[in-house]
Amino acid sequence: MNPDSGLIVVFVSVALINNLVLTKFLGICPFLGVSRRVDMAFGMGCAVTFVITVSGMVTWLIYTQILFNLGLEYLKYITFIMVIASMVQLVEMYVRKMFPALYDSFGIFLPLITTNCAILGICLFINLWEFGLTEQGSYSFSGFLQALVGSFAGGLGFTLAICIMGGIRENLESADVPKALEGAGITLITAAIMTLAFMGFSGMIKG
Amino acid sequence: MNILAEINLFSVGLAGITLLAVGLVFVLILTLAHAKLKVERDPAVEAIEAVLPGANCGGCGLAGCSAYADAVVKDHGLMGKCGPGGESLVREMAAILGIEAAASAPVRAVVHCSAKNHDRINTTDYHGCKTCGETQMIAGAMGCPYGCFGYGDCHKACEFDAIRIIDGLAVVNYDNCVGCGACVQACPRQLIELLPLREDPMLVIACATRDKAKDVRSYCKVGCVGCGLCAKLVPNMFQMKQNLAVIDYEKYGRQEDREKALEKCPRAMMVYVGTKVKIENQEPVNTI
Repeated sequence: MNPDSGLIVVFVSVALINNLVLTKFLGICPFLGVSRRVDMAFGMGCAVTFVITVSGMVTWLIYTQILFNLGLEYLKYITFIMVIASMVQLVEMYVRKMFPALYDSFGIFLPLITTNCAILGICLFINLWEFGLTEQGSYSFSGFLQALVGSFAGGLGFTLAICIMGGIRENLESADVPKALEGAGITLITAAIMTLAFMGFSGMIKG
Repeated sequence: MNILAEINLFSVGLAGITLLAVGLVFVLILTLAHAKLKVERDPAVEAIEAVLPGANCGGCGLAGCSAYADAVVKDHGLMGKCGPGGESLVREMAAILGIEAAASAPVRAVVHCSAKNHDRINTTDYHGCKTCGETQMIAGAMGCPYGCFGYGDCHKACEFDAIRIIDGLAVVNYDNCVGCGACVQACPRQLIELLPLREDPMLVIACATRDKAKDVRSYCKVGCVGCGLCAKLVPNMFQMKQNLAVIDYEKYGRQEDREKALEKCPRAMMVYVGTKVKIENQEPVNTI
C-alpha cells in the first residue's frame, strides 16, 4: 500500500488481504484463547476493534504532529505503547461499569488480552505504510482518514477471523476428533486451514 | 556515526520533555476516567475476597474467587462451598457477614430418587452402553422416565468420593460432600439438587416423577403417586406440583407434622438425609 491509496482499497486490504491474524500472524493469543464460543469471541472482537481504532488514530496523530515535526521518530515505540496501554485501561474501566456481565466472564484477562501484539502491529504498519505522506515530506490530513479506516478494518478483520474460528470450534465439540489432536492440535490445524483459505485473497489488489 | 553526533543535551532534553508531556496528557485522561467510571463495590464483598484462599480453583463452581465473593454476599447459603477454605474460612466469613456460623446451612447434594434395583419394574432388557449420559438418549431403556439409572456418571464426576452407587441407586455420603455441584452437572436427568442442609437429618422428597398414579405404579414400587395426602395434612410444608410432592424448606415446620406426613405416605420415597443417617452396604460401583 502506498500513501495515496483510496479508502476502500485500504479497508479491503487491511481487513482481508493483510488480515492481522491469518496473514500477519498477530494476535494469536486471544485468537486461540477466547474463540471457544461465538458470543465470547464476538465480545472480544468488539473490544479489540475499539482499542485498535482509537489507538490507530491517536498514534498516527502523535507520530505525524509531534514526533515527526520534532525529529523524534525513534520515540515511536515508547509512545505507541503508552497510548495503547492507556486505551486498554479506559476500555477496561468502561466495560466494568457498563457491561458487568461481559467483565465478569473475561475477568482479569481483558487487559492481558487486549494489549496483544496485533494492536501495536497495526499502529506500526500504519506508520510503515506512511499514510498521508506527501511528496514534500510532510503529513497531510488525508492520512488521518486512511489511518482511521485502516485501523478499523484491522479490528474488523480480527473480529471476522475470531468469529469464524469460534463457529468452527463450536461445531468441533460434537465432532469425532482423534484423541491425539484434541484441544490445541485440532485448533491449530483449523487455523492453518483458515490461513490457506485467506491466502486466496492475495493478489486481489495490485500492490 | 551520524546518530552519535546528534546525542547532545538539546535532543535528549527534547525527547525527555516530549515523553513527559504525552505521558501527562494520558495521566489526566485516565484520572478523569477513573473518577467518572467508578464502580461501587460492596465493602463486604471486598472483605470476603481478602480472606479467600485466592487459588481460583473453581471448586465452588463459580468463575474464580471474586465471583464466589460476590455470590456469597448475595446468598449466605453458599458459605460451605469453598473446599480449600474449609471450616476456618466459614467461621471467618460468618464473622464478616455478621451472622452466626451455626445458622448458615451448608449446601449439599440431594438425590431425588429412592428406587433401588429391586424397586424398579422394567419392561425392557437394556444391554447398551452402561453410562447415564448415553442411556438417557434411549427412550424406554428404563421404565421410569425420570429416575436414577445407577450407572454412576455422578460417582465419576465427584472428586471427594461423596456419591456412590449402592444397589443401583446414587447415594450421597454427607461426611464427604462439600456441595461443589459436580454431580449436579453430571446427571443427565437433573436428579441431583444442591440444597441447604438446615437440619441434620433433613427430610427430602426422593422422587422426581411427574406421572400420574397409574403410570408410576407400572414402573416403580416406591415413587410418588401424587395422592396429595401430605399436602392435605401439612399444607404449609408440602405442596403438590405436577403430581409430585414438593417440600417448601422455608416452612420446614415441626417434627410432629413431618412424622404425620411420613406415616400417611403410602409410598417410600420420603427419606431423611444427612451425616447422622447411616448408609448400609457401602459397596463399590458396578461399572460394566
